[in-house]
Amino acid sequence: MSTNRTITFTLNDAPVATTVGTHQTLLEALQAQGLTGARESCAQGLCGCCTVLVNGTAVSGCLYLAVFADKADIKTIEYSPEGQLDAVQQAFIECGAFQCGYCTPGFVLMTRQLLDGNAHPSDDEIKHYLSGNLCRCAAYPEIIKAVKLAAARRESSRQSMDKG
Amino acid sequence: MTPFELAEPRSLREAASLLVAGGEPARAIAGGTALMLMMKAGVFQPKRLVSLRGVEARYSEISATPDGSLHIGALATLTALAHAEAVKKAAPVITQTLKTLSNVRVRNVATVGGALAHGDPHMDLPPVLTALDARVNTVSPGGGRTLAVGELYTGYYETALADDELIAEVIVPPLASAAAQGGWRAVYKKITTRAADDWPTLGIAVALCREANQVKDARLVVSAATNTPVRLLAAENTLRGAVLDAATLARCGDAAMAEVELAGDAHGSSAYKRELLRVHVQRALREIMV
Repeated sequence: MSTNRTITFTLNDAPVATTVGTHQTLLEALQAQGLTGARESCAQGLCGCCTVLVNGTAVSGCLYLAVFADKADIKTIEYSPEGQLDAVQQAFIECGAFQCGYCTPGFVLMTRQLLDGNAHPSDDEIKHYLSGNLCRCAAYPEIIKAVKLAAARRESSRQSMDKG
Repeated sequence: MTPFELAEPRSLREAASLLVAGGEPARAIAGGTALMLMMKAGVFQPKRLVSLRGVEARYSEISATPDGSLHIGALATLTALAHAEAVKKAAPVITQTLKTLSNVRVRNVATVGGALAHGDPHMDLPPVLTALDARVNTVSPGGGRTLAVGELYTGYYETALADDELIAEVIVPPLASAAAQGGWRAVYKKITTRAADDWPTLGIAVALCREANQVKDARLVVSAATNTPVRLLAAENTLRGAVLDAATLARCGDAAMAEVELAGDAHGSSAYKRELLRVHVQRALREIMV
């Protein structure tokens, strides 16, 4: 039995076919595709810098075997169907919710997941949900502000859509 | 990590037989979060792994039977367990435990069976499920068996599972129906010295069955500073038949501290953990009394 596999998956809406080693992580497979938005930091699933969506579910790309992504729908921070920043990204910029930006893709993806399931999280709910994302610049107060701003923006855009 | 062969069977029984189909026994991989940490650290370099991800979908299901017991498929993710209404209703201690068990992304991938079979004494579900008197059904090429979660652990990262045996499902006996006669209630105290979702310094699971004011039965389990989850039998004995007053709580805490050896590590010294045990056993009991 070979230790290589050819896998196919959808990457940000585009079909991909590639050969990976059984021991390679999804993160490594994505970087081989030229995507660097998901990046390794702690390599233990603790920090969230390698966050990737597999079939709509957030996983740590560094703790997920690439072969397990066969036939899956993969989305990364690079996914931008409208070609512009979404409410979460805009809120992170406006609140200055980062310094070096290394952890930001993971925080943005996890914030979207949080707000999809809980439109108006409390400070405690935000802290709890994002406890698996580490920001070594310690922009945490600004991140919490950004999550709340994004929640408010999403709410008002929902309301204007309802009226429209 | 180093390259390995990966078998991807379509049934759990086939997976069990594939575990011993090569030269040396292979490990099963489901979510892979715990195994990959070992592989990345170089402490585990498998030649062959057997993926459980393609096995029958029924092993991912979670349901309650009419008698009130919970059936949790071994391949159910920790996120599925955390969100299952049946679990919240029948055994809220499990739902509560999952809130600080690692983080969202790991829970999205890691499985219940993996959390049990890995044999890591720092994990939260083994002590909780031991206190709840849960059992596992296993599958092996020749059949399978039932054993208590409390019988699953034989040493540090060692389990009673045979080389060709896989956990198929976890069964939690009814707590709610017993509640009508006084009732079992359970709490888990995960004591961490850094972040809330860190590995525990000490895990303490307490299940208590009361009738009126009196304790009928109790199961106390300590983990994380021991090689396996350990029942605190002497501490349990101080509770049976007793009324839960301050003196009983103090006796129970003292007995717990006296009967078990706790290993010191980066999270705290042995002496510190003994004091944690004495105090938190009492806090757990108080929480149940509320």
